[in-house]
Amino acid sequence: MHKKKKMIISQETMDIQFVRKVEALSGTSVRRCFQCGKCSAGCPMATFMEHPPNRVVRLLQLGQWRRIIEGRSIWYCASCETCSTRCPNKVHLASIMDALRKLSWDAEGPSKESYVQLANKLFLDNIRTYGRQYEMRLAAVFNVKSGQFLKDMMLGPKLLSKGKLKMFHQKNKNMVEIDKIFSRIEEMRRKGEAL
Amino acid sequence: MSTLKYSYYPGCSLHASAGEYDLSTRELFKELDIALVEVPDWFCCGATPAHNVDELLSLSLCAKNLELAEQVEGDLAVACAACFSRLKFTQHTLGENETKRTQVEKALDAKVRLDGNVKHLLDILARDLGLDKLAGVVKTPLKGLKVACYYGCLLTRPPGVPNLDCVEAPTIMEDLLAAVGAETVSWTHRLECCGANFTLSRPGVVLQLTNAILESAKAAGADCIMVACPLCHGNLDIRQQEIEGVYKADYKLPVFYITQLVGMACGLTPERLGLEALIVDPKTLLKEKGLL
Repeated sequence: MHKKKKMIISQETMDIQFVRKVEALSGTSVRRCFQCGKCSAGCPMATFMEHPPNRVVRLLQLGQWRRIIEGRSIWYCASCETCSTRCPNKVHLASIMDALRKLSWDAEGPSKESYVQLANKLFLDNIRTYGRQYEMRLAAVFNVKSGQFLKDMMLGPKLLSKGKLKMFHQKNKNMVEIDKIFSRIEEMRRKGEAL
Repeated sequence: MSTLKYSYYPGCSLHASAGEYDLSTRELFKELDIALVEVPDWFCCGATPAHNVDELLSLSLCAKNLELAEQVEGDLAVACAACFSRLKFTQHTLGENETKRTQVEKALDAKVRLDGNVKHLLDILARDLGLDKLAGVVKTPLKGLKVACYYGCLLTRPPGVPNLDCVEAPTIMEDLLAAVGAETVSWTHRLECCGANFTLSRPGVVLQLTNAILESAKAAGADCIMVACPLCHGNLDIRQQEIEGVYKADYKLPVFYITQLVGMACGLTPERLGLEALIVDPKTLLKEKGLL
């Protein structure tokens, strides 16, 4: 743990190619950040992160992307956009976070934060399978796959009695169309037409 | 009498855990004589998880929904703050970024339509219908009810995108409530995040953030909270009892949707507003204020 804190900046650890990808995906400049720290000051999730938002950008400026994607900070961002709203130099940090998660996701998530990634994956699977969210299934499969069988069990009966838990998924006649959207995006990525 | 007509995108939650938001929206609009026709076979907008890991997918899903909405006459009315934010973000991004637009058009195998207006229910009630007109149809002013208006993250952000109201100091909810005779409190956590979809993956995060919101509303002297988002509602209402247990607090703050409070003022019955579905029971409070 102690050793990990030491940062070695060398040609081996710096990867500017990665930074360019982040800038292309997010449409915002990493270099514009002058480390005022306003993003971290207003971030509701900073207390849960090992690298607060401004440090994520600093690490990126130094090409130290491994440190970022191996950690849990990017997965604890709630996408509330407070950082982007308050940045005095127009760095769209929420979009940078999106880009970092995408690149980490593509690298099959070396991060230890698996619950958030699992929830995201199940959410997207539901869209492809049903066209819309199926909340009941989302919660049930999450509990099974994360091994937390009793999580939120106390809420179940309460939600059922209030009609908030629907046993069946919503119907959608456009299912062929939705699958085509997913497939076309996969195809574009295979051909290198999109990141 | 009214000529207001909208296509309607309820979003997934309104057909499940936030059924009362859907019900109260339809009933209120019927009462106000505003036509609302649901977009046929709309998809999930992808919400936060899609743009979190795959922006292209998120943009494509929203662009497809915008295309589907064109089948119904009128601007697109959106109830959920998250759907609203994503649909607006998609229009904004595709209008400005040629590369992303080309990619999305390839994913949809169609040209994208960006000219339709996307409006949140708040915008429709406060501006299209208008506060004066709304004040004119109020039957039971919500006198004495002290409400904490909770905007959450996505109604106004990111800057320059939804353009619903001022990004750091919005007043549209307070204005709406003033028109129906309620009091609003001044409080600190109007725009702080509730933890949103961490409710599934990391509920501990939600408990901590939401506790701070409830604490702030209570300290400001609010009787209840008003929201315009099913995720905020879930975290503040469904998890409230759990939060009280964990943080040894006593809030008992009913959490209403905008359409429920406005509907109540317009004389709609509790059944038409789905008040039964609220987890924190509002009956005692409403009786105390002479509203039930």
